Amino acid sequence: MEMLVPTIISALLMGMLFALVALGLAIIFGVMNIVNFAHGEFLMVGMYTAFLTATVFSIEPLLTLPIAAMVGFLLGIASYYFLVRYLLKGPMLAQLLGTFGLMIFLRYLAMCIFGPDYKTLEQGVLIGKSIKWGSVVLSYPRLGTAVLSLIAFGIIYWLINRTRLGKALQATALDVEAASYMGIDTERMRGLAWGLGGATMGIAGALLTNFYYVFPTIGILFCMIAFATVALGGFGSIKGAFIAGLIMGLIIDLGGTYIGPHHKFALVYLTYFLVVVFRPQGLFGW
Amino acid sequence: MRTLRDAFSFGDLPLVERIGFAIFIMFCTLFPWVTKGSFDQAVMIQFLIFCLYGLGWNLIGGYGGQVALGQAKNVGMSAYTVALLMVWWDIPFWLSTPLGVVVATIESFVLGYFLFRLRGHYFAIATIAVSLVWQQLFINWDLIGGARGVELPLKETPNFLYMQFASPIYYHYFAFLLVLAAILYMNWFRKSRLGYQLRSITSNEEVAESLGINAHWVKVKAYCITGVFAGMGGAFYTVYYNYIDPFSVMHLELSVMIALMTMIGGAGSMWGPIIGAMILIPLDRYLGAWLGGSGIIGVDFMIYALMVMIISAYEPKGIWGIIEKVRARR
Amino acid sequence: MPLLEIIDLTKDFGGVAANNHISLEIERGEIIGLIGPNGAGKTTLFNCIVGYHKPNQGAIRFKGKDITGLKPFQTNREGIGRTFQIMSISGDLTVLENVMVGSFCKTSDRRTARQEASEIMNLTGLEQDAEARLTELPVATQKRVGLAMALATKPELLMLDEVASGLNPRETEEMVALLKNIYVVKGLTLFLTEHVMEVVMPISQRIIVLDGGQKIAEGRPQDIANNERVIRAYLGEKYAKGRRDRGSI
Repeated sequence: MEMLVPTIISALLMGMLFALVALGLAIIFGVMNIVNFAHGEFLMVGMYTAFLTATVFSIEPLLTLPIAAMVGFLLGIASYYFLVRYLLKGPMLAQLLGTFGLMIFLRYLAMCIFGPDYKTLEQGVLIGKSIKWGSVVLSYPRLGTAVLSLIAFGIIYWLINRTRLGKALQATALDVEAASYMGIDTERMRGLAWGLGGATMGIAGALLTNFYYVFPTIGILFCMIAFATVALGGFGSIKGAFIAGLIMGLIIDLGGTYIGPHHKFALVYLTYFLVVVFRPQGLFGW
Repeated sequence: MRTLRDAFSFGDLPLVERIGFAIFIMFCTLFPWVTKGSFDQAVMIQFLIFCLYGLGWNLIGGYGGQVALGQAKNVGMSAYTVALLMVWWDIPFWLSTPLGVVVATIESFVLGYFLFRLRGHYFAIATIAVSLVWQQLFINWDLIGGARGVELPLKETPNFLYMQFASPIYYHYFAFLLVLAAILYMNWFRKSRLGYQLRSITSNEEVAESLGINAHWVKVKAYCITGVFAGMGGAFYTVYYNYIDPFSVMHLELSVMIALMTMIGGAGSMWGPIIGAMILIPLDRYLGAWLGGSGIIGVDFMIYALMVMIISAYEPKGIWGIIEKVRARR
Repeated sequence: MPLLEIIDLTKDFGGVAANNHISLEIERGEIIGLIGPNGAGKTTLFNCIVGYHKPNQGAIRFKGKDITGLKPFQTNREGIGRTFQIMSISGDLTVLENVMVGSFCKTSDRRTARQEASEIMNLTGLEQDAEARLTELPVATQKRVGLAMALATKPELLMLDEVASGLNPRETEEMVALLKNIYVVKGLTLFLTEHVMEVVMPISQRIIVLDGGQKIAEGRPQDIANNERVIRAYLGEKYAKGRRDRGSI
C-alpha cells in the first residue's frame, strides 16, 4: 500500500503527457471529423527529431522542443495538403485507410533510416535525476515533462479559446459552410488544425524522449492510448481530453504496478472498448 | 441447384473479364510445369494464400465497407488449432482443419456481435485493439509455444492425411483449388441476397434498415464468412510451412497487409483482391530477395503505404476502379 | 380493428417533449395527412412509429400487435414501409439493384426479386433509369426511387416523409397522381407527413395537425383548412386575429 501514493502521483504526471497526446487528436477530430491513424507516428517523428538534434549537436534535449514542434507542425500541414484534403472527398473506407497508409509509411520510413533498435538519450538536465520527498520519489524527467505538457496544453487551450484564430478554428469545427460564409478560409483552418495536431505531437515526442526509448514502432502504442483517451474524454472535447489523459495515466500506471507490466496496455484497449460500447459520447462529449 | 448455377455462371460479366479469368486459371494450372525455380513456386503459393485472405476480407471490408483490421487473428487461431492438434494428439489435417475453421469463425461471430455496435472509425480502432491483445496473449502464452511458435513434426514419408508432400506442386494445386472455390463463392455472393443487403448497408445503413435489413446481423454474418476464408488460409499455411509463430500468423501486420492489398486492387469488386495480391506479393518477395542482403527492412511496406495513400486519395476503388473508368470512357 | 393505433404517446428529448400524449388511429385503406409547422413533432412521431426513436410512454399497435420500441427493420417486416425526405445513397448500387434490395426483404430468390423490382419500377415510371446511380438522378426521380424501394418491401402501411419537399409544382402534381395510382393498384394505406398544406389537402381523406408536440386538430381537409387553432398554429396569433376581425374565412 505504501507504493500507492507515489504511483498515483507518478501516474498523474504521466497523465499530463497523455492529455497532450490526446489533445492533438482531439483538435483534428473536432475540426474535421476525421481520425488520424498516423497520430502516433507524428509523436515518433517528434521523438526522433529531438533525439537526433540532441545527440548530433549535443545540445540539451529540452532545447529541442521548438524544433520538434516545428517539424511536427510542418508534417501535419503537409499531411493535410498532400493527403487528407483528397481523402475527405472519398468514402469512409478511403478516409480510414488513407491515414492508415500514412501511419505505415512513416513507421517503415523510420525503420529504413534508423533500423529497428531501441535508443535512449543519456545526457540532459532532467535525465536520470530524481527528487525524494518523504517516501515519495519523483523522477525529474516525469516531473519536467508533466510541467511542460501542462504549459503546452495551456498555450494551445488559450490559442483555441482566446484568439481570433482559435475562434475561426472553432467556427470551422461547428459548421464548415457557415464559417466559409463568414469569410473564414476554412481550407486554411483545416490545414492549421493538422499543423497544430502535428506540433502538439512533436512537443509530446520531444518530452517523451527524456525518459522513454525511441524506436520506429512506438507510434501504434501511443496512437491507441490517444484513441482511448479521446474516446474517454469525448471526441472533440478539449477539457475531456485533459481529464481523460489523467485517468488514462492512472489506469496504465496502477495497472502496471498491481496487475503486471505485461497487461497494462491491454487495460488501455479494454477502457477504449468499454467506453465506446457503453458510453460512446465519452465523459464530456455530446 | 440454383445456388450452384449462380456460383458457376460468369455469363453476366463482360467478355474481357471472362477471358481474363480463363487466363488466370490457365496460368495457375500450368505454372508449376513452366517454372522450375523453387523460389518462384513459393512466391506463387504465397500469392494464392493471399488471394484467399483478400477475397475473404473483401466481403466485410470491400462490400461491407467496414474497416476490419484483425483478420490475422482468425488466420492465427485456425493455424494454431491445426498445428497444436497435430503436435499434441497427432490429429490429421483433414480433421483438424474443420475444427480450426470453426474456431476462427466462432471468434469472428463473438467479436462481430459486440463490435458491430460500433461504427466507422470506432469499429476500426476496436479491431486493432483486439488484435493487439490477442497478439500479446499468444506471444506470452507458454503452453502454445509463446514467441517460439510451434513446429509440426515431420512424417518419414509423404503423407496425404497430414498434407505432407515432397513436392510443392501438391501444395500449389491445393491452394489453387481453395482459391477457385473462394472465387466461385464470391461469384455466388455478389448475386445473392446477402450480397445485395451488404452493399445496401454500405451505401446507407439507415435506408437499408428501413428496407427490413437487420444491418447488425448481416454484418456479423459477413464477418463470419470472412473468418471462414481466413481460417482456411491459416490451416493451409500451417501444413505448407510446417512452422508457425505469433509473428507470422497472429500479427497485426498481416491484417494490415491483407487490407492494404485489397484496397489497392479494388475493394468491393470481384477481382480486386486478386489484382492486389498479383501486384503486391511478387513485389514484396522479389524486392525482399533483392534488398535482403543490404539489410534494409520495411521498404516493401513503404511502397504499399504509398500506393494506398495515392489510391485512397485519388481512386478509392483501387486499380479495378481505374480499369472500369478506362472501360467506361471507351 | 384499426391498422395503426397510437395510444398516449410521449417522447421527450432531455426534458423537451417533442410528442406530448398523442393518440390517433388509422384505418386500413385510408390516406392520412400529418401536418404541422416546423418543430411541431411530426418527424419525431414518424420516427417513433418506424422505430428510430423509442417512446418514453405510450404504445403503438400495428394490426393489433404491439410494436412499441421495435427496430426499424422489424417494423418494416411487420408491414410498415417508409420513404426518406432526403435519401443520400452513396456507393455503386444501381436503381434496379436498390429496388431489388427492397424485394429481397420478402424473398431470397434473385429472379423473383428482379421480377418484382421491375414490376414496381414500371409502376413508378422508372423503366428508363434501371441502370442509373441514384446520385446521377434529379430530385423528383430520386423521390420516386425511394418510393419504389419502399414499395418493394410490400408494406401495408406506407409512410411518406415530406414526399413533396424539393419538388416544383408540376413535379408535385405528378407525385400526387403517382401516389393516388399506387394507392389504388396496391391497396395501400398511406400516411403522409408534410409541412406544406397544399400538398396533403387534395389527396388526404383525413388530416391530423400537430403543434408544439400536441395533437391540436383532426378531421376532413376542408374542416382543417377552416380550423381556427390550425390557422393560428400555422400563421401566428396576429394573422388569425386579423382574419377574425374581418369576419371572413
